[in-house]
Amino acid sequence: MTAPTSTTTAVVPTPGDDDGPAAPAPAAPAGPAWRDRLLDARPVLVPLAAVLGALAVSTGLAALAGATPAEAATALWEGMVGTPYAIGSSLNVAAVLLLVATGFLVAHRAGLVNVGGEGQIAVGAVAATAVGTSLPSTVAAAVALPLLLLAAAAGGAAWASIAAWLAVRRGVSEVITTLLLNFVGVAVLVLSIHEEALLRQPVTSSETLPQSSPLVDAAHLPLLGLPDSPATAAVVLALVGAVVGSVVLRRTATGVRLEAVGRSQPAARRLGVPVDRLRFSALTTAGATSGVAGGVLVASVPYVLDEGLASGYGFSGLVVGLLARGSFTAAVGIAAALGFLVSGGINLQLAAGVPASITQIAESLIILGVAGTAIWTVRRTTRTRRPWWRSRTTGRTAARPAPEVAP
Amino acid sequence: MTTTLPPAPARENDDGTAAPPALALRGVTRVFGAHTALDTVDLEIAAGEVHCVLGENGAGKSTLCNIVFGSLPPTTGEVLLDGERFAPSSPADALARGVAMVHQHFSLVPTLTVQENLLLGRGVRRLRPDRAGLAARLAAIAETLGLQVELDARAGDLSVGARQRVEIVKALLDDPAILLLDEPTAVLGPDEVDSLLATVRRVAAAGTAVVLVTHKLGEVMRVGDRATVLRGGRVAGSGPLAREGGAGTPGAPALTAADLVGLMVGREASSLDPVLAASVGVVPTAGPSHDGGPEAPARSGTPVPAQGPAQVPAPATGDPVLTVRGLTVDDADGARRVDAVDLEIRPGQIVGIAGVEGNGQSELVAALSGALPASAGTVLLDGVDVTHAGPRRRTALGLGVVPEDRHHEAVVTGLSVTTNLLLGRLHRFRRLGLLDRRAMRAAAADLTDRFDVRTASLDAPMSSLSGGNQQKAVLARELSLDPLRCVVAAQPTRGLDLGAVDDVVAHLRTAAARGVGVLVVSSELSELLVLCDRVHVAYRGALRGPVPTDAPDARDRVAHLMTGAPA
Repeated sequence: MTAPTSTTTAVVPTPGDDDGPAAPAPAAPAGPAWRDRLLDARPVLVPLAAVLGALAVSTGLAALAGATPAEAATALWEGMVGTPYAIGSSLNVAAVLLLVATGFLVAHRAGLVNVGGEGQIAVGAVAATAVGTSLPSTVAAAVALPLLLLAAAAGGAAWASIAAWLAVRRGVSEVITTLLLNFVGVAVLVLSIHEEALLRQPVTSSETLPQSSPLVDAAHLPLLGLPDSPATAAVVLALVGAVVGSVVLRRTATGVRLEAVGRSQPAARRLGVPVDRLRFSALTTAGATSGVAGGVLVASVPYVLDEGLASGYGFSGLVVGLLARGSFTAAVGIAAALGFLVSGGINLQLAAGVPASITQIAESLIILGVAGTAIWTVRRTTRTRRPWWRSRTTGRTAARPAPEVAP
Repeated sequence: MTTTLPPAPARENDDGTAAPPALALRGVTRVFGAHTALDTVDLEIAAGEVHCVLGENGAGKSTLCNIVFGSLPPTTGEVLLDGERFAPSSPADALARGVAMVHQHFSLVPTLTVQENLLLGRGVRRLRPDRAGLAARLAAIAETLGLQVELDARAGDLSVGARQRVEIVKALLDDPAILLLDEPTAVLGPDEVDSLLATVRRVAAAGTAVVLVTHKLGEVMRVGDRATVLRGGRVAGSGPLAREGGAGTPGAPALTAADLVGLMVGREASSLDPVLAASVGVVPTAGPSHDGGPEAPARSGTPVPAQGPAQVPAPATGDPVLTVRGLTVDDADGARRVDAVDLEIRPGQIVGIAGVEGNGQSELVAALSGALPASAGTVLLDGVDVTHAGPRRRTALGLGVVPEDRHHEAVVTGLSVTTNLLLGRLHRFRRLGLLDRRAMRAAAADLTDRFDVRTASLDAPMSSLSGGNQQKAVLARELSLDPLRCVVAAQPTRGLDLGAVDDVVAHLRTAAARGVGVLVVSSELSELLVLCDRVHVAYRGALRGPVPTDAPDARDRVAHLMTGAPA
């Protein structure tokens, strides 16, 4: 019979057999090299664009609040790096964020997302306050500080262990449990500073604030001793924590096992990796570092536990961890940037009369921008996408010879 | 060309005209980074023909499917549909143009009924699902193709063969011009393969161009009109298939099974190990085929185990390394998956478990490896009771496991080759509390060397390896356990190319020769018959048999047991 001509090609191998005129491909996505480079740079460019966009919106909001962009920028800049004092307090904020982020990164390596920084900070701070206010005033700082930080870590870890136990034993999503435990954790803090039987300072008048008594002197975090700077030892502590975390994750068997668990629990279990134990400890470690962050907050000026202590640090630390994408180096940088932004915002309120919450808006916009555009940072094959409303308009039935039509 | 075909009455119509082929690929090339998956591939498929695309794994078959089905754009070259340029932007687009595909892995929602599954994604712009339209279309399909589906059954309750039938019906709902079938027989039992192949013939007879992607020659020879063999992304050869009682198209030599094997592996079929021959299906996997049977080189009246070169008589002495008594596994819903299984493997023995998938083999392996708890019974490893031991302890006692699902359980695809090889024994590479990366790399290099794992770099992620090399890496890890007493290998050759099958089989045999007990679970009966000393059959969770493979009628007896008939 008459087979179409080219289907009679024989058994001979036909490598690179180019069929003349049909071959040139108009749709070849052979883009220029600069375009490839641009696409490869997306993981950096997209967050950068998110930051710039967030700053633009914030500037607009500041203008609405009555500050010209120039005023707002000056106030922000002054508050961020204008004085040694500003730099110092920015660094302190950054240290707290970095502590939370370090724990987040450890848990995240095992595939767990710790959204519970807020509650863990609160419970850690309560534990630290309990230790810091009950120590005798004669105790040495070398004893008091480690005790306080240990108590803070234990508090945060205990708080996270609830979610960890539920995740490991009952399969409950840790995203839900840690998030909800935030509210409970903050409530624990509020309760303990409202009850004299717990941590509230002795009520002497109706004006006694609901907060704890100040910590004993020995439990105060020492300053780094930079001139005019309030930067405390927390900065060093956070950096050491980040270095230790980085080394553990990248250089030890535990780190490799955590990553295996995070990527494939069945395979890790098959290979004898103690999956449940690692997941439990990874999440409690995240709780512990957040707890230490809470302890650091109490052990800094004004050395009391009050209601607003944890507000925002847990979530900002989560942001640092998320944006860092597993890199501790990135976490240090991002924590610093957010730290400066936060203290800049405080000055924005003081100097330019713009509500400090504008920095929170900026921060949230950055998160939304980065999270929402994450899909663009993944390299995908470029293709020409037909709009959905045109997807069924091609008339293939008309073009196709119906088999029923007999000759 | 139609004269050479078995009954295909509806296909007499497209002759005499220079109608463009239903599907044509012209110089299609697809490049992934430095790797060229498809290299200037030309292909033409006429309406009403079954065109088989053959090739080992990694030959580019899947890439080809993905390009035609719109999941991937070609780097260069073009696809023509009925002579018109066809550049689908997505599978939905391809569907709208009349290209349907049945994937190797089923894509039915198990909790929905068959009807709901069929309605999914259809009439998305209508308020209510078009049940009447569906019923009419199903009736038409049932009439022309004889394909029936149980509309009210839950998809998850169907047997594998029935599920695949639903997949095919789903693909046929829109009356596609082209039907792509990607390795459709991989998970089917012999009877189901027969019925699938019959369906394929009927679909083609109704005028649809069928592209059957497979690596099993037996099936190709039974249903194919033409075949194209891919090797390393290039067309190694193509042409009409030889059939009994009919010469090929005049002027073009017809391809025989032996030709195809030669094209696929680049060497003579007669030089193949019997296991290899079995794995490509040169020995038909199902009994005598209905349309005459292929002229397969290794085909003989009786099974081929005796001529296997590596069939060393097993030194079945010594105490059993693996003893299973009354092992029973119930799943979370209380359904009995493994039912009072007894098994005994002595050093040096290779024992096979055959059976259609879903008869408890997976659960049995999971229970043996420690992934699933046993509801009753005992498992003794080298005399030690490990019924309730975790995977780590079993490994320490010398149990190597090659899991069935490579990506799910055997390897962590995102981690490096080195890490995957050594994950279970990281404690040996500690120095000052840190990992000794250099020692790890040396150990991994040694393993990849010994087991011939081809990898660009030891630090490359496992996902960058081909399936065969991944499997070799798994074997390298499991067979290098110290001590090693017993290996449980589930579907060890699934999805592997011929060279890799050869290596995997050789490694298992070597292990047995060293005095290791080997348990192989496979749905490839032919492979088991040549590899094992005796074969059990899994049926509804229980083990039947065993059938010694040197019995002359072993194949028939095993096939008989697989159907559930009494022994």
